[in-house]
Amino acid sequence: MELERRRVLRIGGAIAAGAGLTGLTACSGTGDTGQGGTTGEKHKGRISVWSWQGPAAEMKALVPEFNKKYPEIEVTIEDIGNPAIWDKITTGLAAGGQGLADVLHIGVDYLPGYVEKFPGGLADLGPLGANAYRDAFAQGLWQTVTPDGKRVNALPWEANSAGFYYRADLFEKAGVDAGALQTWEETIEAGKEIKQKTGAHLLGIDKPASQADAANFFQMLLQLQGTFYFNLAGDITLDSPEAVKAMTLIKTMNDAGLVSDLSGGWNTLMTSLKQGTAAVLPMPTWFGGVVEEQVPEEAGKWKVRLPPAVRRGGSTAAMVNSTHLAVAGSSKHQAAAWSFVEFVLTRPSSQVQIYKGKGIAPALMQAYDDAVFHEPSPFFSGQKKGEVFLDALKAPSSAFNYTADYARALKLVTDAQSKVLLGGADPAKVLGEAADQLARQTGRKVSR
Amino acid sequence: MTATLTGRTAPAAPSRGAAPRSRPRRRVAPYLFVLPALLLFAAFKIYPIGRSFVISLHKTVGGTERFVGVDNYTRLLGDPLFWTALKNTSVILAVQVPLMLALATGLAVALNSTLLRGRAVFRLGFFLPMVTGLVAYGILFSVLLSKDYGLLNWLLDLFGADPVPWLTDPLWAKASLGLALTWHYTGYNAVILLARLQAVPAELYDAAAVDGAGAWTSFRHVTLPGLRPALLLTTVLSTIGTLQVFDEPYVLTGGGPDNATLTIGVYLYQNAFKYFDFGYASAIAYALAVLIGILGMIQFRLLGEKP
Repeated sequence: MELERRRVLRIGGAIAAGAGLTGLTACSGTGDTGQGGTTGEKHKGRISVWSWQGPAAEMKALVPEFNKKYPEIEVTIEDIGNPAIWDKITTGLAAGGQGLADVLHIGVDYLPGYVEKFPGGLADLGPLGANAYRDAFAQGLWQTVTPDGKRVNALPWEANSAGFYYRADLFEKAGVDAGALQTWEETIEAGKEIKQKTGAHLLGIDKPASQADAANFFQMLLQLQGTFYFNLAGDITLDSPEAVKAMTLIKTMNDAGLVSDLSGGWNTLMTSLKQGTAAVLPMPTWFGGVVEEQVPEEAGKWKVRLPPAVRRGGSTAAMVNSTHLAVAGSSKHQAAAWSFVEFVLTRPSSQVQIYKGKGIAPALMQAYDDAVFHEPSPFFSGQKKGEVFLDALKAPSSAFNYTADYARALKLVTDAQSKVLLGGADPAKVLGEAADQLARQTGRKVSR
Repeated sequence: MTATLTGRTAPAAPSRGAAPRSRPRRRVAPYLFVLPALLLFAAFKIYPIGRSFVISLHKTVGGTERFVGVDNYTRLLGDPLFWTALKNTSVILAVQVPLMLALATGLAVALNSTLLRGRAVFRLGFFLPMVTGLVAYGILFSVLLSKDYGLLNWLLDLFGADPVPWLTDPLWAKASLGLALTWHYTGYNAVILLARLQAVPAELYDAAAVDGAGAWTSFRHVTLPGLRPALLLTTVLSTIGTLQVFDEPYVLTGGGPDNATLTIGVYLYQNAFKYFDFGYASAIAYALAVLIGILGMIQFRLLGEKP
C-alpha cells in the first residue's frame, strides 16, 4: 500500500515537474486596456521609449531639443535591441500592457499582428491628433497604420525602398556596366563575369536561415513584382508565378556559385562586408549608412542604384519595409507620449537630423525638401544617394498586406529557401508545399 | 524524485495510543512555517499549470478568447512540424543522453580517484558550463562552430581537413546541438554521480579486492550498483531536460536549417511568442508534460528499485 502510494506520488511528481517547467506561464489575456487615447496631459509626464540601436541613439539626440519645447516631459530612451524588442513587446502586450514603455518602435512586419491579436494594446492616435498628418507620409503608409480607416495604430517613421549597393570597382574590373543592368537575369550573367575575374560572389544569403530576415532578398524580388505572401484580401499567394520566378532566380544564382553563405546573420554580414565577399548588397535605404560606417576606407569604391527589374520593363522601385512609432494602450501618459511621437515624426527638422546621423530614410515627405537629400555623397562616388531613393518613394508602388500571420509565412518561406539553397529543391514544389502548410496553420485560402 | 534514495528502512509510524496529545497551536505552527513556500508554489507553479490548461482549450480570435475544446490537441496530431520537433527531440534523447551519462560516469569515477591531483579544480571546471549564461553560451559556440571563421574549422584546416558546415547542414547541426548539450550538462551530471560515488562504502571495494576482483570487475559489481539511484536520477533529469531543450537550438540554429534542430521547446516558443498563438502553445506544453510523465514512469520502472 505504502509502495503504491509512493509510486503514484512519483508519477504525479514527474508530470508536475514536466508541466511546471514547460507550462506556459499564464500569459494570454486580451491586453484590452486601451483607453481611447486621452490619458494624461500633453505637456507633462514621465515617458519611456523602446527602440533599438541606431534609431534609439538618434531619438536620444533629439531629447534636449524636445525638452526645450516640453520642459515638463521627462523622456527615457531605451535601446532594447533588435530583434529582442519584439519578444519584449509581445510579452508586455500579452500581460495586458504590464511593463510596456509608453512609446514603442514597431516594424511593419509586427504591427498587424500586434493590432489583431491584442486589440487595445496600442492606443488610438486619432483622438490625440494624428489625423492631421493623413497626407504627410509616403504613399501607402497611412493605409498601413490605419487598416480600417478609423483607428490610427501608429505613425510612420522610416520608409525603406529596395536598393542595390554595389562595389563599383569590382564591376569595373570585370568589365561590366552596373548602371546598364536592366533585369536580374542580366545581373546573374554579370555575376558570372565578376566571379571569374575578381573571385567575389554576386551577393550573399543566409542559406540555412539562421535569422528570420534570411528571406529579405526573396521578399524584395516579390515586391519588385508588386506581390507578396498574401494578397490584399488576405489570401495566400506564396506559390504565385511571381514567387516561383523569384525563387528560381535565387536558385539559378546559387547553382552558378554566385551566392555566398551569410549564416550567422548580422555579424556574418558585417564580416563579409569588410572582407568584400560580395559585389552587391541588395539592401534597403538604411543600409547605406551602415556601409559608410563599416568600411569608411572604401569611400569612392561604392555606388548605389535601384535594383534591376525582375522582368524586362518591370518596376525597379518597391518599398520593402517601414517602421512606426506607437503608443501603448496601457500608458498612463498617452498625451505626453503623443507629444514626443509628433515631435520626432512630423517635424521635418527632426527627420533630417536623424537622416544625417544614421541614414535612416524618413516617411515624412516634407523632410525631403531639405538639401541634405540632394547633396552628392563623397562615399558613394559623388552620387546623389538621397535622390535615388526619393525617386523610388515617388514611383507608383503596390500596398503590401503583411497580415497577422506574417511571422508564420516568413518561417515557411525561409524553410523553403533553405531547401532550395542547401538541397537544390525545386522552387515551385517547395513554395506549393509552404502555401498549403500555411493554409492549414492559419485557415486562410490559397489563391491559385 | 529522491524517493528511491530512502531505503526500505522507513521508520514505522508510531501507534496511535502512544502519540502525545499535542495542543492545537503546536500543530498549526509547522503549517505557518511552510505557508510562504506553499503560497509561492501555488502562485507560480500551480496557478500557471492550471491556467495554461485553460488556455490550451481556447483560441484567440480577433483579440477575444474563444473556447474551442480539444481543437488545439487534435490540430497537434495533424501538424507535421510538431512531429518533426518530436522526432528531432527523440533523436537527441536517444543519442545524446546515453553518451553524456556514460561520459559523466567516467568523469565522476576519475574525479573520485585519489590518483588525480587538484581534483577540486577539475570538479569546478566541469561544473562551470552549467552556470554559463545563455548569451555567453551562444557567442562561445558561434565562435567555435562558424563555418568560415570558427575555431574548430581552423583547427581542422591545420590538419588539412575540409571545413565542416557545423550549423548549416541539417545533419551536422544536430551533431553540433549534441555537442553543445554535452558540454553544458556533463559536468552537472558528473557532480551528482560523484556525490553518490562517495557514499559507496570503501569496505565493498576492499572485499572485492580480497575476492580477487580487478578494476573492471569491481567497477561493474561495486561501483555501478552503488551508482544506480544516482543514475536513475540523472537519467530522469536529463530526459526531462532534453525533452524541454530550448536554449541550445534557440541560440545556435534557431531550429534550422529547415527545422533540422526544431525541438518541442523551440516550437512551443515560436507558437507563443512569434505567432501569438497561446492556445496552441499551451497544448504543446501539455502534450510535452504528458510525454515527460510517461517516459519518467518507464524509467522508474526499468531502473528503479525492485519491490
